[in-house]
Amino acid sequence: MTPNTYAIIKAATNVISGFSMIAIIVLGVAYMSFSNAFVFQDVKIEIVNNPVEQTRDIEFIMIGYKKHECNSTRVYGVAYAEDGTHSHDLNLFTKQYTRNTRPGEEVPNQWHMKVPDDMVEGGVYRVSMTGDFVCNYLIFQTEKSQTYDNILLEVEPR
Amino acid sequence: MDIRRNQKIAQQVERWDLYARLTPTIFLVGSLFLIIFKIIDFETAFYVGLVGFAFTAVVWWWWAIFTIKYLVTVLNRTSKNLQDTAIEISQISTEIEKIKDDT
Repeated sequence: MTPNTYAIIKAATNVISGFSMIAIIVLGVAYMSFSNAFVFQDVKIEIVNNPVEQTRDIEFIMIGYKKHECNSTRVYGVAYAEDGTHSHDLNLFTKQYTRNTRPGEEVPNQWHMKVPDDMVEGGVYRVSMTGDFVCNYLIFQTEKSQTYDNILLEVEPR
Repeated sequence: MDIRRNQKIAQQVERWDLYARLTPTIFLVGSLFLIIFKIIDFETAFYVGLVGFAFTAVVWWWWAIFTIKYLVTVLNRTSKNLQDTAIEISQISTEIEKIKDDT
């Protein structure tokens, strides 16, 4: 190998190494930013038909925006009695939510859930709604979960 | 002993140079290959890269500290020796001048 060729190869490896380092750092920072971001930001969930009458379902409304492309895979709620004695799972949707809302803008979403059969006595509850998501960003994909607590639910006796 | 140690440091610098030129590209290409063929996911590559980056940073940091300490010691000793030599040359010059004057 001539000295000239050696110098060219050395310079080329330096440039390639520099660009590789830049790519690694940019991808690493982008991945950290993506994996640490919450699915929904500026999010608010409410039950709009408190107290829930005997024949009605629980009507939820949500507003918030997603930073990344996230598709929900599972959504469920748990209603905790305000006195802390018991809880009920909320997992029977009578009106579905929009599965894959657009990222980057506030899109209202709403869904209805059946009042559990064993919630016969009614009462005041605090609902936690949890969503499991698969999120995509550039070449990354990850599973995320986000919970929104303390949603007031008042149910009339059945 | 100093010469041998100096050569050792020169070799270590060469090795660091080679490591810096090859490792990022090998890691990037290797990780992309493994991710594309779904052998590992991005999270694994991220943590392997993070550990490698941290390990390199710590090893390089201590190597740099010890090398700089050694180089500063060598530089001080060389400066002192040069100063002594300059003083001795100056004394010899004075003595030669004196001998010239006497003759």
